[in-house]
Amino acid sequence: METSAPPPDHELMLAVRDGDLDCMGELFERHHGPLFGYLAKLTGDRTAAEDITQIVFQRMLKYRHTYRDEGSFTAWMYHLARRCASDHFRRSSPAPVAVDPSELDRHADESRGADESAARQDDHALLHRALGRLDRDEREVLLLSRLQELSFAEVAGILECSVGAARVRAHRALRSLRDHYFRLQKEPLT
Amino acid sequence: MNCQSCTERMAELSDARLDETTAASMREHLDGCPDCRREYDSLRRTLEALDSLPAASPSHRLRARVAGDIETEKLTLRRHAGWASSIRAAAGTRPDRGFRWAPTILQALAACALIALGFAAGERTATQRQLVDLRARVDTMGQLFEQSVLQKRATGDRLETILTAATARKPDERVIDGLINSMAFDTSVNVRLNALNALYQHADQDVVRAAVLACLPREANPLVQVAMIDFLVAARHRDAAPELRKLISDDKADADVRESARRAIEQL
Repeated sequence: METSAPPPDHELMLAVRDGDLDCMGELFERHHGPLFGYLAKLTGDRTAAEDITQIVFQRMLKYRHTYRDEGSFTAWMYHLARRCASDHFRRSSPAPVAVDPSELDRHADESRGADESAARQDDHALLHRALGRLDRDEREVLLLSRLQELSFAEVAGILECSVGAARVRAHRALRSLRDHYFRLQKEPLT
Repeated sequence: MNCQSCTERMAELSDARLDETTAASMREHLDGCPDCRREYDSLRRTLEALDSLPAASPSHRLRARVAGDIETEKLTLRRHAGWASSIRAAAGTRPDRGFRWAPTILQALAACALIALGFAAGERTATQRQLVDLRARVDTMGQLFEQSVLQKRATGDRLETILTAATARKPDERVIDGLINSMAFDTSVNVRLNALNALYQHADQDVVRAAVLACLPREANPLVQVAMIDFLVAARHRDAAPELRKLISDDKADADVRESARRAIEQL
């Protein structure tokens, strides 16, 4: 039996804009996981990531009339997420983000076997720590550039800079992450 | 291709996002430039590690919260539409009064059933006097009237009442009873969810925990059920375990609800 393809995000968002708010539920189901994952890595704080995810969907509802016919839903969503995250950072303490790797991995780890190697766990913890040592802007551009559903042109649009500038910033952030990560690997365990 | 332009696009090469011409040109450069090759290998390893980080998952409560937001926005939309249509239909016919009262009477009967359930579920822990008082109030015509008035008001107004009650500094028993009633009977998912949220600050009261537990099996909406389970976990209500086990073994229950119940059992 032939089944019809699910409507694309853009079509659903246009329906939301036209008043069919139930379509926002479907968009939530499709996107809240990756969005939350991005925000959890960006903030290093699960609770904040959950709050910001909710605020992003609230804003999509509130500002649905501003969604454009030719727009990309994902780029628009991450654009709003960037604004919401900035608000969060402005409100919260300027102190460095405290990353607790065990907190970030808590749910995902449940699906893995108990015999998962400790080395891999350590590796994840090191990388979380390395991410936590990046500047917020570096972390932002790096995480955005790793989202497969966004092109570099869209990342540049979200960051409000040229594509070339976005590439350079992403590359610098990646090098910075690598340096922190490799340095941490060489540090003795505390 | 020179070293600088090669370096800037290494991340894209590693995850195959480059067009084939640029990728081929980069590979050719990497083959002939040991420095860029070393740089590329180390960045690729970092990216592989970054991409292999397990994805964090949000709690079930996020879904309930966003669903509540969507419901609230829908109500706002309907209220705005209602202004226009009410003006146009100013001389329209009145709905049949008997039909409008039927849900109220059903709700009153359901109220009595809820209190009976509340007794059954919470008799070991709930304060006997509070439950007796609560039942007495529900049984009175005054409570019937209150229920009917509450249900005749627009959903947005009922929501406002809940939000006001939630911010009350010293809520009395009547306010808490009102919140319990709204959580149990209101026809709007959003109002029920907000009433439940407002009850969090009273989770230390036996009657509140017993009421949430009593409402759990009769609640039709999975979002509200998940929120109720979260409440019972937050309140450390160990008496909820038998009801949660029933939900877990109920094949007809929503998958998310059963999963929440399973997690709750572990936490309790």
